[in-house]
Amino acid sequence: MKKVDKKIVAFLCNWCSYAGADLAGVSRFQYPPHLRIIRVPCSGRVDPLFIFTALKSADGVLVSGCHPGDCHYTSGNLVARRKFALVKGLLEFIGIEDGRVQFDWISAAEGNKFAQTAAKVASEVDNLPQWDRWGEK
Amino acid sequence: MIVLEKIKEKAKELLAENKVEVVLGFTRGTLPGKCTPYFARKVDEVENFVWEEGCNHNLANYLTKLSQKAAIIVKGCDSRSIINLIKENQITREQVYIIGGTCPSTGECPDCQHQEAVIADYKISEGEGAIEDSFQDVLEFEKLSPEARKEYFYKEASKCIRCYACRNACPACYCKECFVEENLPSWVGKTTGIGDNIIFHLTRAMHVAGRCIDCGACVRACPMGVNLSLLNRKMLKDVQEMFKNVSGLSLDTELALNEYKQDDSQKFLIGGE
Repeated sequence: MKKVDKKIVAFLCNWCSYAGADLAGVSRFQYPPHLRIIRVPCSGRVDPLFIFTALKSADGVLVSGCHPGDCHYTSGNLVARRKFALVKGLLEFIGIEDGRVQFDWISAAEGNKFAQTAAKVASEVDNLPQWDRWGEK
Repeated sequence: MIVLEKIKEKAKELLAENKVEVVLGFTRGTLPGKCTPYFARKVDEVENFVWEEGCNHNLANYLTKLSQKAAIIVKGCDSRSIINLIKENQITREQVYIIGGTCPSTGECPDCQHQEAVIADYKISEGEGAIEDSFQDVLEFEKLSPEARKEYFYKEASKCIRCYACRNACPACYCKECFVEENLPSWVGKTTGIGDNIIFHLTRAMHVAGRCIDCGACVRACPMGVNLSLLNRKMLKDVQEMFKNVSGLSLDTELALNEYKQDDSQKFLIGGE
């Protein structure tokens, strides 16, 4: 039977991580096809609701923005950082695996890091038990 | 009943001198041991006030719905909600006259940390100070295996009938348009399926994270007995540990998620730090 690739929704900020993904593509770095990229204006735009909802139809979520200090909007990712720390704790608290939802900072110059991160997240999600999509599957 | 006399005396004075148009307090409910919120608008209505076991609703919830100048009889939790509402520009400090006391109804909340009002224009009683929260319930839950935690949470979420009583009772949930009722776009599914329920409960916990003062209004309002305080108290604990912030204690500090520090924890990142 053909192995079905798992789906990972990636929320990438327009100014750094999305450009980093673009650079990875232009540089022809290879990475697994799991990612479904959604471009957001800033990592601060990533409402926890987006993450929870994405898990209804995907097996994992990756959220990435500019490195702290490099935010196009000065402090968007710094405010988001507090929120993400709480989201991560909340998901862990209700028994969701650590690798299911991941966060990182990737700059526009880090095409290589983007490909590596995508590969790492993809392999971790692949190795997790089958995701129940919030009990609906 | 000296405290109750003080309340009535002050309420009468405020209404008689037209300093406020309405006084918010409690009167006896239809069930024994239960009290119901009461709005006194005339001097003789003040006699209906009570201050006893069963006065446990969070009255701050009504302030955002009132446009007149109001006096409010508060215990610890209401006063902390008022502080947050002022900080979030939902009410002004001038708009509300605070009659502060110590909670008369500790029977239902044995682990309450702040029984005494933290802000008041007029004090009706002097209580003991705050007690440190040990978060014993959260720590106990964290000791369980991930599978057991997931199973428990799924079971709790599946009880929910999505009546939104928890949101209506919560003084921190004052949005005129709540994400649960929006249709364009439909942010969250409207069914009582387990998935939609989980997304609703997680998002609700995030919306009140750093603002919830653990008054327990949501838990008391819930007709299905969902353990709503578990997620709230987990957020409370994380905010306290990670950001050294307890909301609703002072008008001078910023709410945890409204500010940031350069050296905030980055343990949640890939690889951690």
